[in-house]
Amino acid sequence: MKNQPRANTEVAVNLKKYSLETVRYAAHAASAAARVFIKLKGPATAVVEFSPTGKLPGPKIAAAFRAELDDETLRAKIWAANSELRDFMILKALSTEPARAQQDDSGLTPEQEKELDDLIAQVESEIKQEAAAGASADPLGITKTWEDKYGAKKPRKKN
Amino acid sequence: MAQKNPAKRTSPAGPPQLLWRREGADCLVTNDFGHYAWLKCKDFNLLAAGSLGEKHPKYAELADKGFVRDRLDFEGLAAKWRSKNAYLGTGPGLHILVLTLRCNHKCLYCQSAAAGVGARNADMSVETARKSVDFALQSSNPAITIEFQGGEPLLNWEALKAAVLRARAGAKKAGKQVSLALVSNFSLMTEEKASFLVENEVSVCTSLDGPADLHNRNRLFSGGNSHAATIKWLKYFQERYKHQVPGYRTFKPSALLTVSRYSLGRHKEIIDEYVKHGLEDIFIRPLAPIGYAKKCWGQIGYGAAEFTKFYLASLDYIHKLNRNGTVIREKMAAMMLEKIVNSRDPGYVDARCPCGAAIGQIAYNYNGDLYTCDEGRMVGWEGDDTFRIGNVRADSYRKVMASAATRACVLSSNLESQPDCARCVYKPYCGVCPVYNYEVQGSLWGDMAANDRCGLFKGIFGALFALLKKPGGEAILKKWAGK
Repeated sequence: MKNQPRANTEVAVNLKKYSLETVRYAAHAASAAARVFIKLKGPATAVVEFSPTGKLPGPKIAAAFRAELDDETLRAKIWAANSELRDFMILKALSTEPARAQQDDSGLTPEQEKELDDLIAQVESEIKQEAAAGASADPLGITKTWEDKYGAKKPRKKN
Repeated sequence: MAQKNPAKRTSPAGPPQLLWRREGADCLVTNDFGHYAWLKCKDFNLLAAGSLGEKHPKYAELADKGFVRDRLDFEGLAAKWRSKNAYLGTGPGLHILVLTLRCNHKCLYCQSAAAGVGARNADMSVETARKSVDFALQSSNPAITIEFQGGEPLLNWEALKAAVLRARAGAKKAGKQVSLALVSNFSLMTEEKASFLVENEVSVCTSLDGPADLHNRNRLFSGGNSHAATIKWLKYFQERYKHQVPGYRTFKPSALLTVSRYSLGRHKEIIDEYVKHGLEDIFIRPLAPIGYAKKCWGQIGYGAAEFTKFYLASLDYIHKLNRNGTVIREKMAAMMLEKIVNSRDPGYVDARCPCGAAIGQIAYNYNGDLYTCDEGRMVGWEGDDTFRIGNVRADSYRKVMASAATRACVLSSNLESQPDCARCVYKPYCGVCPVYNYEVQGSLWGDMAANDRCGLFKGIFGALFALLKKPGGEAILKKWAGK
């Protein structure tokens, strides 16, 4: 006996509440259990259709998708509020050595604030220059040979 | 002196970046710096909304770990990030020399597509072996490992010997730290060869799939008993390790376990076999349907769920042994824990972002062809050179590092560009494999939602975090990291 195809399940999403991007990524998360088709129904509604591919039934997949919509909204909100800060942190990690000495972190003097602003401006300018230079710029020097980078060194003695 | 202004609070005091996974009433949160915390879902909601007050019992921990935006320790967190991603900018550290395609075993799961012992044009020449070592020494990585593999590398002893001597001389000249490792089935080992390896500080690693019946079922050897040969030489190298002599360091031998379908359900016997032979590490490696293994997947393969079940049972058993005083740890877990607990890079090129293909490791085929990794070489052996990045005799280091295949692998394994991975709570510790994706799903990017390797890693991470949540489990697992 042939297996009966599982019934499709549809979920209508209000695009005034959730962006189409949010719907798309939330739907992607459900794609392990179903084929997903997103259709626009007018300017304010997206209909997401799930065709189950495994054991999980459509209504359960739809429930997981609805929960994912809220999680995706939260992700988008955190991303929007912090993407520049995150870029700054990663660039800082890539481009500077950790501070060796403990410093007073109770606050910054106006002079220190100016210095920090200048540093941020410099870092942002470097990012733009690197982006403009393209992939061949090799900022980390990965394509350089050992000798190019450090030169020949004296051998270490074996213990 | 100028009056210092108090730092302004940013509202809301939410997380600067947050990855999470809900599990019942609890929620695991992680961030780019490699920190993690278990929260109650109601506390997670407070954190996400920026409403977690300073008096909340979790506030101090979360602030220390970089989960609260207006309490970020910029220097400390940047240092964590650097430490966890220390491999970026160091160049390839692992150099795999395939000294021959020939092998005297016919293992059921062999991904290397080994040729028979009598095969022609399957050995690396002494000249190519030396050139390969010279090429590896050009890496900008200050500490490299040259690993001799096959086929069975002892079938090409002259090339192995030449490569070892070249590497030792080259390391002295360059002032570089060079580790040498041999992966062998030991069936062709002799006292003379073993002494040469030990005296030149070559560490040895073999395959041990469990008790004799299971090992010999997986690893067919027409020349005798594969298990017996393995155990005989394991004991030999363990004795040499115990009796160190001045002038060189002798390394402890290690073994690798490859889990085939026949291994499932036999985790206790397999682990007991490792303990019985004095091995303190067991690396529970899943099979991948790449190269030759892809053709016989129906006979020996399994799904992510089956492997995860086996892995969990194994971890559970190892934990039980640890509690009773037996020293043994699972290597995959130990490497993941090094990232999770210590925010340090364990050198595991298979789980990095971007993946270690070419920028972390290079595979040198017997004929001097260079591949992104050994898996990429196996795809090449099947007639598809997508992952070929050059030839050791024809191409410069710079050209290889900037080759199209290198760039494609870096781009496709960047987790930020993977829709599932960018949202996954395990992202700070994980990595995708473009070769696996290409072989199994038909594209370098793959589709993580339906990817068995992804399912398998999620299972492993899930098990580790569940154990870390338990006070008793945490103490044992933390000992595994950084050992």
